[in-house]
Amino acid sequence: MTGLPDTPSAAGSGRKAREVRKPGRLQRITEHLRREWQIYAMLLPTVLWMVIFLYKPMYGLQIAFKDYSVFRGIANSPWIGLEHFETLFNNDQFLRALKNTIIMSAYGLLFGFPVPILLALMFNEVLSQTFKKSAQTIVYLPHFISSVIIAGIVMTAFSPSAGIVNTALGWFGLEPVYFLTKPEWFRPIFIGTGIWQEAGFQSIVYLAAIAGVSPTLYESAVVDGASRWQMMWKITIPSILPTIIIMLIIRIGNILEISFEMVILLYQPATYETADVVNTFIYRQGLQGGQYDFAAAAGLFNAVVAFVLVMTANTISKRYSRTSLW
Amino acid sequence: MRRLSLSIAMLATTAMTAPVQAQDYPIVDAPLELSIHMHWPRAQGYGVGGDTSKIYPVEEAARAATNIHLIDETFGKNTKDSGEAMNLLIASGNMPDIVGGHLIKQPVNEFGPQGAFQPLNDLVDEHAPNIKKFWEDNPGLKEAIAAYDGNYYYIPYLPDGKYGRAYFIRQDWLDALGLEQPDTVDELYEVLTAFRNNDPNGNGMKDEVPFFARNWEEAIRLVTLWDARSSGSDTFHDFYVKDGAVVHPYAEDAYRDALANVAQWYEEGLIDPEVFTRGSSAREYLLSENLGGMTHDWFASTSGYNVALEGKVEGFNFIPFLPPASPSGRRLEEHRRIPIKPDGWAISHTNENPVETIKYMDFWFSEQGSLLANFGIEGEQYEIVDGEPVYKDSVLASGDPVNAQMWAVGSQIQRGYPQDYRYEWQWTRDSARRGIELYDQYDLLVDQFLGVAFTKDEQAIYDRHWPSIRTYMLERQQAWVLGSGDIKADWDDYVETLNDMGLQDVLEVMNAAYKRQYG
Amino acid sequence: MAGFAKTGGDMSGVNLQGLVKAYGAVQVVHGIDLDVQEKEFVVLVGPSGCGKSTTLRMIAGLEEISDGDLTIDGRHVNRVAPKDRDVAMVFQNYALYPHLNVAENIAFGLRIRKTPKDDIAQQVQEVGGILGLTDYLERRPADLSGGQRQRVAMGRAIVRRPKVFLFDEPLSNLDAKLRTQMRAEIKRLHKRLGVTSIYVTHDQVEAMTLADRIVVMHDGRIEQIGTPMELFLNPANTFVAGFLGAPPMNMITAQIVAGDQGPVAEFGGQRIVLQPLPSLQNAVGKTVTVGIRPEFAKAVDDSQPDRVSIEVDLIETLGSEALVHATLQGAPFVIRTDTVGQMEALGRIGGFTVDAHLVKVFDGETGLALPGQVLNQ
Repeated sequence: MTGLPDTPSAAGSGRKAREVRKPGRLQRITEHLRREWQIYAMLLPTVLWMVIFLYKPMYGLQIAFKDYSVFRGIANSPWIGLEHFETLFNNDQFLRALKNTIIMSAYGLLFGFPVPILLALMFNEVLSQTFKKSAQTIVYLPHFISSVIIAGIVMTAFSPSAGIVNTALGWFGLEPVYFLTKPEWFRPIFIGTGIWQEAGFQSIVYLAAIAGVSPTLYESAVVDGASRWQMMWKITIPSILPTIIIMLIIRIGNILEISFEMVILLYQPATYETADVVNTFIYRQGLQGGQYDFAAAAGLFNAVVAFVLVMTANTISKRYSRTSLW
Repeated sequence: MRRLSLSIAMLATTAMTAPVQAQDYPIVDAPLELSIHMHWPRAQGYGVGGDTSKIYPVEEAARAATNIHLIDETFGKNTKDSGEAMNLLIASGNMPDIVGGHLIKQPVNEFGPQGAFQPLNDLVDEHAPNIKKFWEDNPGLKEAIAAYDGNYYYIPYLPDGKYGRAYFIRQDWLDALGLEQPDTVDELYEVLTAFRNNDPNGNGMKDEVPFFARNWEEAIRLVTLWDARSSGSDTFHDFYVKDGAVVHPYAEDAYRDALANVAQWYEEGLIDPEVFTRGSSAREYLLSENLGGMTHDWFASTSGYNVALEGKVEGFNFIPFLPPASPSGRRLEEHRRIPIKPDGWAISHTNENPVETIKYMDFWFSEQGSLLANFGIEGEQYEIVDGEPVYKDSVLASGDPVNAQMWAVGSQIQRGYPQDYRYEWQWTRDSARRGIELYDQYDLLVDQFLGVAFTKDEQAIYDRHWPSIRTYMLERQQAWVLGSGDIKADWDDYVETLNDMGLQDVLEVMNAAYKRQYG
Repeated sequence: MAGFAKTGGDMSGVNLQGLVKAYGAVQVVHGIDLDVQEKEFVVLVGPSGCGKSTTLRMIAGLEEISDGDLTIDGRHVNRVAPKDRDVAMVFQNYALYPHLNVAENIAFGLRIRKTPKDDIAQQVQEVGGILGLTDYLERRPADLSGGQRQRVAMGRAIVRRPKVFLFDEPLSNLDAKLRTQMRAEIKRLHKRLGVTSIYVTHDQVEAMTLADRIVVMHDGRIEQIGTPMELFLNPANTFVAGFLGAPPMNMITAQIVAGDQGPVAEFGGQRIVLQPLPSLQNAVGKTVTVGIRPEFAKAVDDSQPDRVSIEVDLIETLGSEALVHATLQGAPFVIRTDTVGQMEALGRIGGFTVDAHLVKVFDGETGLALPGQVLNQ
């Protein structure tokens, strides 16, 4: 083959050749499948899972544009176009919730993202295995506690009468503060709780990345005379930077996914002003009786924003750091 | 026993009406099998504890009586969420003959008019004399369950008994401080102030919490002490009917003045400063720590603390007292048991034996059926003594709660049936009975707002505006109680904002639906 | 070649005295004595697990020394931190920082030591020039070939101008052709820079070609130290004899008997005449191992009367020479022979002859070479 099927002279012979080759290719594919079927068999569950749980439900997304009735079914519910979206954007409380979501996510990213990295770096520097193991267990633990319990702990900790926070404030002669009803305190408490709950567990990814750094890099640096601090800055961090960037992109993709249960558990009407996020807003809207179509519209909006953010972050990262999700 | 029969006589308002026995049983000569979806919190399926291989003894008895056999075909057995189970069922398009269980009103009224369920009005009129009589004896209930098209689509679970929550106070604290039970709101103010200042628990610390509540909404309910309202039903923050029209309590002028007083009390420390976050353990914690002075909570469970804390808190005596009179002299117990539940059962459009089915549903309103539905099997769980169903000692003295024992045999489950208060009264504690009797001496209750059924257009207007309005109301409410903002100064802006957000539109559809439904 | 080991003296080079490495109760290096002269290129060679890398890492300071003494340039450094030992190390997998480009990688050690920027730039240029990396200074390691990466790794070591270079199997990740090329480069570099070097490898060809002196290690002990030719010609024992040389020395178990002119090795009815050395004569009647390098056996046809008969299995022709794979006494026996003008003769090989002085005799029990058999180059 000339490899130039676009040139007029080659086109005819190329096509001819392809026709001739066709059964051959099919045969090759069958042959390939026959030989490698175990590998495809192993792939199959994942593909099925994706199709059933990720792709098939996408069919249901159309209810965002429909006046959906469970009884009529998706296909038979009438189209109403963008009405649900109009309702959404004409609602001041939705806009407030959107604003809160973005602010909380941004803060969460700003303060929450570096903590697991720092934790992982710290764990990596710990020499005593016993201390390292117990410290890791302690910081992983909150991840395995249900949100309800976590919220209970937070409420108790910030209680004006018995909470440890106000008790501590009392030692400095400060008046107790009813933190959980103060809009200005909601975000710090929420984000702090999130960090406390998840930072330890999230640090596992970075610890794994650190474990993947070739030990000879450190040995070489030791011979070159680098201190531990220099090794952390010049080897560890640059080596796990791709992981950090990937995690950051994923995190950005989830930027609108504020921990819904935790907000529900911690917020009060008094703190809606700063605490109400898109998901809690939808939750309250939906309370009045199965407004799936409306909720789907809001969810779709969330997903579109997240998609755009991930695409942007990925493109930027690809261009400037040569690390990207795809 | 004397007290029991007296109480029964006293309570003989709804359940004691003698059912008409116009039906012939069995309903069918040859056994007829009907499939059923029965999903509720205690059992996801029509069988003991959801295990459909174990047929309820009550079902066996009903089969013997009616020759109709219910066969389980419950959807969503793996979820405890009955709403989700209902969605699965409806989306499957494969409906059993009878659809029953928890929270079916909303879906039944939404999908009934679309054809998923059969309207019951005519069926009941023609074939269900017991149900028909129940409607006649209890006006307003049939209307309350109707869908927007005027038909009703399910036979509800109809709770009996009037009183739910009551005001409770630490009588031993009153005694310690030499105070009388507060009879008016002003006296209550004095008492709570004394609770706060005069160390009624005697530990030398000013740690008493004069008024506390498991639900912070109960602190808001204190507005009823100044002739305002907080809700029209057993749901918090609900609409109520005022002079024949539906209004919202949080948009009424009376609320402005009353909530200002509540805010004042909160500021003065008469209301638990942590009422908004204390949560469901508030009662347990504050009573057992000898810190709480007064609350508004359920008769039955709250009266249990006198026994539970006996010997643990010295002299502990937490008893119900009458709602203190408002400045205008009115005593109001805003909360009462709702007479009609969104639970029950409906006949699906696929049911080919609607007449037999409604006759079967009617059976549970007959004397025989009602006894089965309430008390279990005669001779097993109860005996008839002087014409009254009386639980056997083996039931009352068993370590298990009576309601759990009933669920195990198939009584008191969420089928459509008239609950009989004699069931609960027999295992209600003396202290609670005394409180109920006390409350019953006065006309403390108000009519409940049982909700309306919207047309599609009305529903759209309601859905568009109401959740946001409600959110705004609650935000402002808490802010005022917490002291950020002054309700009297903010009131006009508040009302204006509510109207901007569409409150008048919501009230308009509410009233349109109300007029259509209740005439 | 041996001329390199000229200066001598205790005050320079690297000195290992009774160096021991133990992990808990398990000793992996059992007391190594080695004196590396200044500017000398010493290769530690041995099969994997022989302790050569551990020894090197002890010299570098990456492993603690369990016992014994290590001096570098006359300084006792057992307790001295790696960076203060003035050594540079080249690792098997290059240990390049993937996030740094070539210039930055080379400069890493200097930057750590806070060398002024201008100096760094100049030295990087210089080293880049030496190693032929000038065109690649801006590239990342991922964009380099294996050989280039190896050069960068050496550049990192060179640029620090250490007293001692330590190489830990630096070529084992390269393909055969590159390895040969890099081997020559390392040799050239050493000639040019003249820095004391200790080089670890399991590849005896590398050892033979690079070393001024080879240290053969086995099971945590030194088997023999010497120049490549010394070790090739006069292996101290069967291990060294079998390890060095490709193909390895042929070993035949035999009995020494007294022949007409002196001792003769006898096996399976065949005989090989040995040197008339006292140690061999004294060994008459003993079982020994007879070693014959493939290069020293001379293939002959059936007509040769004093040949040792072998059964030829296979002949591998490698161009100018061929390897004759044969069987003797049930064990393989290899002969390396010339091909030029002899192709026809190859087909007729029926045995071999060997000069008595080229036959090595080892004690049958201890494996040690019987004394007195010295073969000069």
